[in-house]
Amino acid sequence: MTDTISRDVTAAAPAATTKSARTPDVTRRRISVPHLLLIPAIAILLIGMGYPLVWQIVTSMQEFGIQQQFGKPADFVGLQNYLTLATDPTMWQVVGRSLLFCFITAALTLIVGILLAVLMTAVGRTARLTLQISLLLAWAMPVVAAMTVWIWLFDDRRGVVNYLLDMIPGVDMNRFSWLSNPLTFFIVASVIVIWMSVPFVAFSAYAGLTQVSDEVLEAAQLDGANGAKRLRYIILPMIRPVIMIVLLLQLIWDLRVFTQITMLQDAGSKAGEFDLLGTYIYKLGAGSQDFGMASAVSIFVLALTLAISWFYVRSLLKEDEQP
Amino acid sequence: MKRKYAVAAIATAAALVLAGCSSTGDAADDGSAEGQDITLWLMGGDTPDALRDYLKSEYADATGGTLTIEEQGWGDAVAKLTTALPDAANTPDVTEIGNTWSPTFTNAGAFTDLSDMYEELGGDKLLKSFVEVGEVDGAQYALPYYFGSRYNFYRKDVWAAAGKEVPTTLAEFGDTVKALRTDSQSGFYLGGSDWRNGISWIFANGGELAVKDGDEWVGALSSDESVEGLEQFQELFTGASNAPVTEFDSTPWVNINDNDATGKPEAATIIAPGWAHWSIGDLAPDPADATKTVATWNDDVFGTFVLPGVDGGVAPVFAGGSNIAVSAASENQAGAKELVKIIFSEEYQTMLGENGLGPANLDYASSLGDDQFAKALIESAAGSKLTPAAPGWAAVEGAGILEEFFGKVSGGGDVAELAAEYDEKLDKLLN
Repeated sequence: MTDTISRDVTAAAPAATTKSARTPDVTRRRISVPHLLLIPAIAILLIGMGYPLVWQIVTSMQEFGIQQQFGKPADFVGLQNYLTLATDPTMWQVVGRSLLFCFITAALTLIVGILLAVLMTAVGRTARLTLQISLLLAWAMPVVAAMTVWIWLFDDRRGVVNYLLDMIPGVDMNRFSWLSNPLTFFIVASVIVIWMSVPFVAFSAYAGLTQVSDEVLEAAQLDGANGAKRLRYIILPMIRPVIMIVLLLQLIWDLRVFTQITMLQDAGSKAGEFDLLGTYIYKLGAGSQDFGMASAVSIFVLALTLAISWFYVRSLLKEDEQP
Repeated sequence: MKRKYAVAAIATAAALVLAGCSSTGDAADDGSAEGQDITLWLMGGDTPDALRDYLKSEYADATGGTLTIEEQGWGDAVAKLTTALPDAANTPDVTEIGNTWSPTFTNAGAFTDLSDMYEELGGDKLLKSFVEVGEVDGAQYALPYYFGSRYNFYRKDVWAAAGKEVPTTLAEFGDTVKALRTDSQSGFYLGGSDWRNGISWIFANGGELAVKDGDEWVGALSSDESVEGLEQFQELFTGASNAPVTEFDSTPWVNINDNDATGKPEAATIIAPGWAHWSIGDLAPDPADATKTVATWNDDVFGTFVLPGVDGGVAPVFAGGSNIAVSAASENQAGAKELVKIIFSEEYQTMLGENGLGPANLDYASSLGDDQFAKALIESAAGSKLTPAAPGWAAVEGAGILEEFFGKVSGGGDVAELAAEYDEKLDKLLN
């Protein structure tokens, strides 16, 4: 049973392609139709993803500002942009902040999501359906609409959050400005991002949970394992592949988070200490028209994403090799 | 048979590739505005609806084409202009731009040379400082659209209850508004990162944001005069304003009007662009739309005065306003120029004035009227100053550096240290 799950999950992962690449090439004299049929897909990938990537890499090695945007030729500066970045303390602060935000948010999302999934298996049909529909609605809500509501909730003057907290005796939250302080700003951001991504984790984990066989659980129960132990030693290891891929996706998404942060900045402050990588790149590029540096940071983020994914891809490969 | 499929597949792929690359039709500019459909970008909601409708109908009458007006938020405008203007397929044909961004875009070659129309549009009668920021080598690219300037609005009732008089010097102003501050009411409501108002204190003390040193622009926040002004600003913010230090783009008039929950104002004094007076007054439900309220100015409760200078007189405030320009990449040059002519017509200039926006052509300044708002506008505009005409100024604004700097100053940071730090940041972007 676990085997099927892990295979399903692998199919969804980009790593799956590496395996087929390993099979020895059969040299044929005539190009076969299947190969030709691959051409449109590859062409679309090359145009859609290859071109922007190449442009990005080229730009990251140029001095590309607003003059160049309006047609002036750009000077090639080699790795100068990257060197400037590497020696810029602001850049490393942003990277550190982004990684911290991404790991904390992804971990909390995963915990809440899995707990909700477990809850879904435990409750009755009506409760489960209600839960699933609510999660689906949260998932389907357009980001900008959801953000507007969240910003209202945390508004310092008229926000419901302050109003409710203020009613607790001894707590003075009247006019508390959540978005003026980096710590509370990122707590709010994290809450919003978690709210938006929990449904995906919960549904994926729930799908995994339904594959855990009742016989195994029953056997464990007969052996005296209580609920917590069954979750820890039976269920979680069995749905581990699902959790791994979901965690990876969350890490990547939370590293690239942009819309939520930029909208919170519009409501709060655009100062540098409220920046994550996404808004930092936007400010460098679109904001101060330094497209060369912005591209360099983007390439760095790509490398960072690959580095995070690499461990996962390797562990997947290892798992696949196991009999 | 197999071959046929292969050929079909290749053909499909090729078609897809070609579709992706096909160029957008290059409509030849035949020099006639006849029937050209054009787009105008306006920044924020400063241009009232009546004026927008006028432009649309006049443009249709003149050319038979359609004018589409798209409103852009001030906050993201630099980014949008940077990406849209070079691209013939997406550029607005005519665009309003913040006056302070004109040097950046003009120097980059974003706009069409309007020198041949300059005399016809008003020539020397156009507001000079705004014309200058849109000039390169004596040729005019971006022309003034409207000007505004900032002055104070105050609650006569609150001031009278505390026995305060309208101040005549900047120091007196500071002391007065500090005395008016309570926990639930700002003596002077000012966002901590609101640099567009905060720079008045730098200017009033003789400081500058940046100065030209030879061919290079350098930050001047750390000059003695600027630091003096910034320290006064810091003291004023901490002592008189309850606004968050991070607030940068505030709508302070909501604070000077009575709060519908408490029936009291949250600010005794605010500073705002002149057109804010339409939003200040006694609030009543809008008869046309029950979800909104309309403000009716009440002379017994509300008053205006210009920000006084260090030694009396008028403090130099930020000269707000916009320029207007034709995108060089636009394929509808003739239509765009036709619209510019409509904007600089006597009728439209007068309409601007009647709506409290300083008309670009100073011959029509009298259309502002002679009420207290017009007087305060003209008086404060006389001493007003623009931000530095450095080529990189739009980058400074786009990167939010000044918001960040003023936020740190109002947060209680060491002014001299911060000023030196941010001068360095300015130096990197200004040129």
